[in-house]
Amino acid sequence: MPADLKCKIAGVEFANPIMTASGCAGYGEELAQIYPLSNLGALVTKSISLKVRPGHPPPRTVETPGGLLNAIGLANVGIDRFLKEKVPFLEKQKTKVIVNVAGSTIDEYVEVCSRLNDCSCADMIELNISCPNVNEGGIEFGTSPKLTEKTVAAARKVFKRPIIAKLAPNVTSIAEIANAAEQGGADALSIINSVIGTAVDIDSWQPLLTNINGGLTGPAIKPIALAMVSSVYRKCNLPIIGIGGITDYKDVIEYLLYGATAVQVGTALFVDPSAPLKIVKDLKKYLKEKKLKSVTELIGKVRR
Amino acid sequence: MTKPTCEDTLVVKKRDLKNDYYSLVLAPFSQAKSIQPGQFVHIRLPSTDIYFRRAFSVASVSPVKEEVEIIFKVFGRGTKILGKLCKGNSLDLLGPLGVPFSFPNKKERAVIVAGGVGFPPLMFLAEKMIEKGHNPKQIEFFYGGRSKAELVELSRLKKMGIKLHLSTDDGSAGTKGLVIGPVEQYLKKHLKEKIKLFGCGPEKMLKAVDELGLKYDIKGQLAIEALMPCGVGICLGCVVPLKAGGFARVCCDGPVFEIGVVNIAC
Ligand SMILES: Cc1cc2nc3c(=O)[nH]c(=O)nc-3n(C[C@H](O)[C@H](O)[C@H](O)COP(=O)(O)OP(=O)(O)OC[C@H]3O[C@@H](n4cnc5c(N)ncnc54)[C@H](O)[C@@H]3O)c2cc1C
Ligand SMILES: Cc1cc2nc3c(=O)[nH]c(=O)nc-3n(C[C@H](O)[C@H](O)[C@H](O)COP(=O)(O)O)c2cc1C
Ligand code: FES
Repeated sequence: MPADLKCKIAGVEFANPIMTASGCAGYGEELAQIYPLSNLGALVTKSISLKVRPGHPPPRTVETPGGLLNAIGLANVGIDRFLKEKVPFLEKQKTKVIVNVAGSTIDEYVEVCSRLNDCSCADMIELNISCPNVNEGGIEFGTSPKLTEKTVAAARKVFKRPIIAKLAPNVTSIAEIANAAEQGGADALSIINSVIGTAVDIDSWQPLLTNINGGLTGPAIKPIALAMVSSVYRKCNLPIIGIGGITDYKDVIEYLLYGATAVQVGTALFVDPSAPLKIVKDLKKYLKEKKLKSVTELIGKVRR
Repeated sequence: MTKPTCEDTLVVKKRDLKNDYYSLVLAPFSQAKSIQPGQFVHIRLPSTDIYFRRAFSVASVSPVKEEVEIIFKVFGRGTKILGKLCKGNSLDLLGPLGVPFSFPNKKERAVIVAGGVGFPPLMFLAEKMIEKGHNPKQIEFFYGGRSKAELVELSRLKKMGIKLHLSTDDGSAGTKGLVIGPVEQYLKKHLKEKIKLFGCGPEKMLKAVDELGLKYDIKGQLAIEALMPCGVGICLGCVVPLKAGGFARVCCDGPVFEIGVVNIAC
């Protein structure tokens, strides 16, 4: 019998535990040109804000050893155009859709979440309270336990389906923030968003990103993210979606062993848009070799 | 447009074009026949030190042999590795990507402006135009570089029967100075004719071609370069500002844009 890759988070069932990370697959249209999105556990959209955001001027990315520094600036079409232009496409896809939401005030989060509550295509929302790329809001929400709880609670009131809180790594204690999100009514946690970083040109002495600071992602951050998943798994009861530097099935297994129920693949999609397909295939093979019936048997099974 | 695919190809031919320029012919690539001039392939480097792909314009294709040719100059870490590859080495290719040039109609004169390593997609364009029945004498190919050694594949371009106009910064071949000088002179002399402009090269050159197009009211297209983490439109890392405001992705809204659209920075 083939191994079962299905997993469940807050009552929502996913065909497999592999999702795309927010901001790394747009609204799904480009990937759908390459393969059917039904291959994914879920598609997580780019962060949606109340208003259109053009994003930061280029250069927006710098390649670093084993990673990418980005300062895209939450460029997105805004909730109006998202509902009008992107949802009709997403509704047709045979995959779960998680809409990532960003805001610079709690009111903005509430407005976007309430509009999404009426959009059945959003199976879940993921609150981005952790983006390092906007000067206002964003990461501030995610670095204060109080604001985290308040933001999640405000979204909870208007969005009736499951809510995921996406946490920032740039905090003293991520478990404390995780517990605050649970208090606010979150159903699951995404761990982690990108890590703040920067880089300078040694000839011009100018920062390489127009925005100066950016978010570091890719294989370089995997050990950091894994440690955070492990820490939250032990101190908080919510299911975890592990994110950071996942390139192949081995990375996924590490995350599951440390307590993640599912994972998101971000930067690796830039190198190979089909990475999730390969991961799913290899994951099946691994489960078979290890004589496991279900991928869920790996969750939290690290031998300490 | 054809779907991009990701395939392992082999280096079937390598030519040293001197002065750090190389040509690699890669095969088999199942989509070779559908690649149009201006489109590019995204190449994964056979090195664990370099994570992201590098984009290369397609310089020619052989549909029958499923071959794709790229021409590059060793510039940094990625191209250094490509320059060391040998026949038989394998390379992972993602493509075809990007919006191609639109062919001018046969009555129009094509004024092509190539700067340095920007010439490969334009050579491909000229070749395809001729294949489609365009008179080679109606193709004015301006090719500029720093010095004579920086102008490569000259005999190949000459063989095409196009009108080749060379220029070098140091005067070691063709007209001395920037390529844009002779282009403007040519345009001024032929203002009554139907002309389409095409350009690819350094930003300063592209900006100058853009300005010429607007000044003399000549339509045309420019192929633009940007750092491309993904090449398929999902990262938003490759954007350029538009004159009308906002940004466009170079990898999938371009790399070919109409003259007058992009706010070219330099
Ligand atoms: C559409 C398009 C077509 C091109 N066609 C050609 C061609 O026909 N011939 C040719 O010679 N070159 C072409 N280039 C340029 C080529 O892709 C290489 O980027 C260039 O040659 C330098 O690569 P490198 O690795 O040698 O240099 P590096 O020294 O590695 O790169 C220079 C700098 O850019 C950064 N960088 C490079 N690529 C990326 C990336 N994807 N994401 C983030 N940062 C990055 C590096 O970190 C470094 O700071 C094209 C580029 C584009 C976008
Ligand atoms: C170019 C880029 C854009 C991103 N945009 C967003 C975003 O809009 N919202 C968000 O919550 N996370 C965003 N992220 C963070 C990713 O979702 C993910 O948390 C991070 O990249 C770590 O995973 P990775 O190492 O697999 O890329 C972005 C990441 C990258 C590289
Ligand atoms: S390179 Fe990623 S969107 Fe263009």
